[in-house]
Amino acid sequence: MSVAALPRGSLFAWAVPVAGVAALLLAFGWHISVGAKTIPLGTVMEALVAYDATNFDHVVIVDLRLPRALFAVLVGAALSVAGALMQGVTRNPLAEPGILGLLIGASFAVVVFVGVFDLAPPALIPLVAAIGALAAAVTVWGISTAAPGGATPLTLVLAGAAITAFLGALITAANLLDEETFEELRVWLTGSLAGRRLDVLPWALPWLAAGLVIAFGAARQVTALAMGEETAVGLGMNVGRLKALVLVSVIALTAASVAIAGPMGFVGLVVPHAVRLFVGQDYRLVVPWSALAGAAYLLVVDIAARMALAPVEISTGLVTALLGAPIFVWLIRARL
Amino acid sequence: MTAGLFTRLEGPVTFALPTRALCVLGLLLGLVAVVLVVSLMTGSYALDLPGVLSTLTGNAPSAIADTVVWQFRFPRTLASFGAGALLALSGATLQNVTRNPLADPSLVGVSQGAGLAVVAAIVLFPQLPYGLRPVLAFAGALAVAALIQWISMRRTGGATMRFILTGIGVAAFISAATSAMLTYGKIDQAMAALGWLAGSVHAAGWSDVAVLGLALIVLVPALFAASRPMAALRMGPEMAVALGVRVGRARVALITLSVALAAAAVAMVGPLGFVGLVAPHLAHRLARSGVGLHLGLSAAAGALLVGAADLAGRALFAPIQIPAGIVTAVIGVPIFVALILRRQGSPS
Repeated sequence: MSVAALPRGSLFAWAVPVAGVAALLLAFGWHISVGAKTIPLGTVMEALVAYDATNFDHVVIVDLRLPRALFAVLVGAALSVAGALMQGVTRNPLAEPGILGLLIGASFAVVVFVGVFDLAPPALIPLVAAIGALAAAVTVWGISTAAPGGATPLTLVLAGAAITAFLGALITAANLLDEETFEELRVWLTGSLAGRRLDVLPWALPWLAAGLVIAFGAARQVTALAMGEETAVGLGMNVGRLKALVLVSVIALTAASVAIAGPMGFVGLVVPHAVRLFVGQDYRLVVPWSALAGAAYLLVVDIAARMALAPVEISTGLVTALLGAPIFVWLIRARL
Repeated sequence: MTAGLFTRLEGPVTFALPTRALCVLGLLLGLVAVVLVVSLMTGSYALDLPGVLSTLTGNAPSAIADTVVWQFRFPRTLASFGAGALLALSGATLQNVTRNPLADPSLVGVSQGAGLAVVAAIVLFPQLPYGLRPVLAFAGALAVAALIQWISMRRTGGATMRFILTGIGVAAFISAATSAMLTYGKIDQAMAALGWLAGSVHAAGWSDVAVLGLALIVLVPALFAASRPMAALRMGPEMAVALGVRVGRARVALITLSVALAAAAVAMVGPLGFVGLVAPHLAHRLARSGVGLHLGLSAAAGALLVGAADLAGRALFAPIQIPAGIVTAVIGVPIFVALILRRQGSPS
């Protein structure tokens, strides 16, 4: 059943978003309560409402688990919205920040920056990530439009794979040349919410907010563009301006999430496709629902990453890849 | 492919040797020899040319020179040549069979499958004998190849591009699984696996050279025996059927061969990226030739590529060694992009 089909103002039109937010809150609470020591949900609520610094559980919740849950919410929402926008604008079901090379571009820029300047100021990390993501996006887009046949899903994915292989090799080489600096980056490079980037968070938030605001604002026009460029032009839209806006939004969202958690692949692929199954093709619904579902998805994935092989923790980015890659293969079979 | 065929069609008298291709082959082999000698000379214990030559003939100028050349540099260089030749042959075969110029064992996940199998063995059963690695690598690579074929072939027959895309997805999945395996494993085992995964020949000894040589001795004759059906498949399944090739059987046999070639190389030196893509393409650009000679040219180009990559990797940033796999990826990706840009609607 599609949400869009529901009559406006009916009980259900309100009930569904409320249920979605409730599910997100539930996932949030669950995420905080599980871990090396399971803390009951009641204590979690208590710690958030009435913090007691002498209670060890409260300290663990507020200092360790709450930031991690927040990271998951922010990164999940950012990457999912970025993926939804990219799929709409490039009209390519396989588009996603990871597959098209934006994540590796941002990561590479951060690696170089941190490697060259030992005391990298956290304020600049989102900016550096944004520059890297933009350069990667421009390169991939340039390669695929110059290829015979234009920017088809195939050429975009191949160009993204090429960028990923190239920068991945350079990152490994940089890693070998300067092992000490990269010791701390190694976990971050697999996509981790383990929360060592707390200092970056306040600097990443403006990027995230800007990206989301643009995404919500442009959603209506993205719906038209997703139907085809002729349709959009016929509706009197300035397609070039819209594309530039969406690019800014995607870059900002990607940069913020890479700065917080490293490259987290396939989140932007899985979530928007799942959301579209329920709400249809209207991006006014796809974008907010992607944000909500992406946040909940990454919370649940992170729970799995922490619990699957406990006490060993798998990087969250690896779990998103393990879940997302089969969906990618399925999409190739179903849509191409 | 066409030179031999056409001379036979045009008349039994013409016996045109593909002169240019043979010259190029000789040139490539000469360059391989140059790389070998330079590689033996280069390192923290530098040797001059007479020193290397006298060491090779058994009159080492010093005991250190003898050890350095015979125990470290010589097996390492030979291993890089062997791995390069195997990967190039694997790529050339895969490209001919799938009729896809972008097919490469490392791009479509075959190398990663071999890598996952070996890493799983290192991490889960560390006491497993070293000699089982090629077998495990072959099993892993074959499983991935079968999986990709199965996924990409089920809907329509000629799914060449879906094959590549599916391979990219499968490769991403396997890489993540391998990394997860490394997190799960104990740190020393993980480090052993990590060095190998970067695609490095730095630890190669004579046992590795022996395995690579054995793989070449067994698999290359099989490949040349199959070069006729390969030539037919390269013209498309319809043409191959018309030429009397059992397409299904030939395809399975050749892909299995290609997987075995890649698995042998990966088991010994780790997944070296893009060699299987670049070397056959280079061979193609240097000289047009029949399938058999093209395979020979590809093998020589692959050996040269990996040998030079290893040499560059350890000479450029000495004393730090950059694994050959990283150098081949950095060289290979621009060529891959050039191939994407040149690719026409259907592969030629």
